[in-house]
Amino acid sequence: MANLKEIRSRITSVNSTKQITQAMKMVSAAKLKRAQDAIVQMRPYASKLHEILENLSASLDVSENEYAKERPVERVLIISITSNRGLCGAFNNNVIKRVKGLIEEHAGADIKVLSLGKKSFESFKKTAYNPGVGYPETPYEIYNDLTFERSSIIAQAVMDKYVEGKLDKVYLVYNSFKNAAMQILKTEQFLPIVSSAPEDAEGNESKADYIFEPNKEEIVTELIPKSLKVQLYKGLLESHASEHGARMTAMHKATDNATELSKELKLKYNKARQASITNEILEIVSGAEALSG
Amino acid sequence: MVVDIITPDKSLFSGEATAVTVPGTDGSLGILDKHAPLISALKQGKVKVTTAGGEDFYEIAGGVVEVQQNKVIILAE
Repeated sequence: MANLKEIRSRITSVNSTKQITQAMKMVSAAKLKRAQDAIVQMRPYASKLHEILENLSASLDVSENEYAKERPVERVLIISITSNRGLCGAFNNNVIKRVKGLIEEHAGADIKVLSLGKKSFESFKKTAYNPGVGYPETPYEIYNDLTFERSSIIAQAVMDKYVEGKLDKVYLVYNSFKNAAMQILKTEQFLPIVSSAPEDAEGNESKADYIFEPNKEEIVTELIPKSLKVQLYKGLLESHASEHGARMTAMHKATDNATELSKELKLKYNKARQASITNEILEIVSGAEALSG
Repeated sequence: MVVDIITPDKSLFSGEATAVTVPGTDGSLGILDKHAPLISALKQGKVKVTTAGGEDFYEIAGGVVEVQQNKVIILAE
């Protein structure tokens, strides 16, 4: 039987851990709400932009655009979006694992990994995949102040490199937000842009006969970079919300485990206490008997 | 007509308006009630929204406007 003092100190430590995980869960829940609002705010913008672009590309060949040119794949960039902090289950590991899988798939090509998030940054910074010059040096700082403007700067840097011919393919790996308990790992091709297949006739009926100002070509050249920026920003927001969701779930489980553990320890403690009391009584009784006998 | 001005971060304006003036790439563009369907690129400038209660101005850094079925959607930046 473990000694009483030992058990008591373990109970205290388990309880204080439980308090911490509980607090972290609350914090994540509050942050999740805000991150979720940001996505909800963003989605109509993204879908409208996509709709307009689709409308245009239906009547216009966009494959000639500088962002749509397919080249033999020699230099690949993987934008890996993770969180800055840990304690959120397999959230970051999933992304890193998928990035490593992509690296294997493109063996032979020159691969760089641009990490948006400290976790991925730390796991790739000492490897040959570290992007080096020409990219934002500490891109994980984006989470300090997550705005469209700041994410656009990164998107623009990547897009410029693609247009200059220094990159042939760009992937985006992130966790997309389904609900607080579920994240879906996504790999998207960022560049060259994939022109969506012409939709079925049912989508066409609502399309009005638009007047284009100044003309279709110019609108398309204006919209494509914009939609790329939006795509990256959306990835960041989704990942941000997923992070808090994942942390909330992880901390919830940790709290449950701590409760369970503390219950078990309490039982053990009471048993040990009872045993020691029984022992004491036994000693007294037998002592008294020896005296009177 | 219904006017929505949205940016990736937030919604600037949403509601009824009698007229909207937007900074098109080829010059200022006024949109009144029952305008024909239109898609236009926008440059940096001010969007003027005229409502029954007065005029409102919103600064934008470019974007695109879509008019369809008496609904004006400005995707600003």
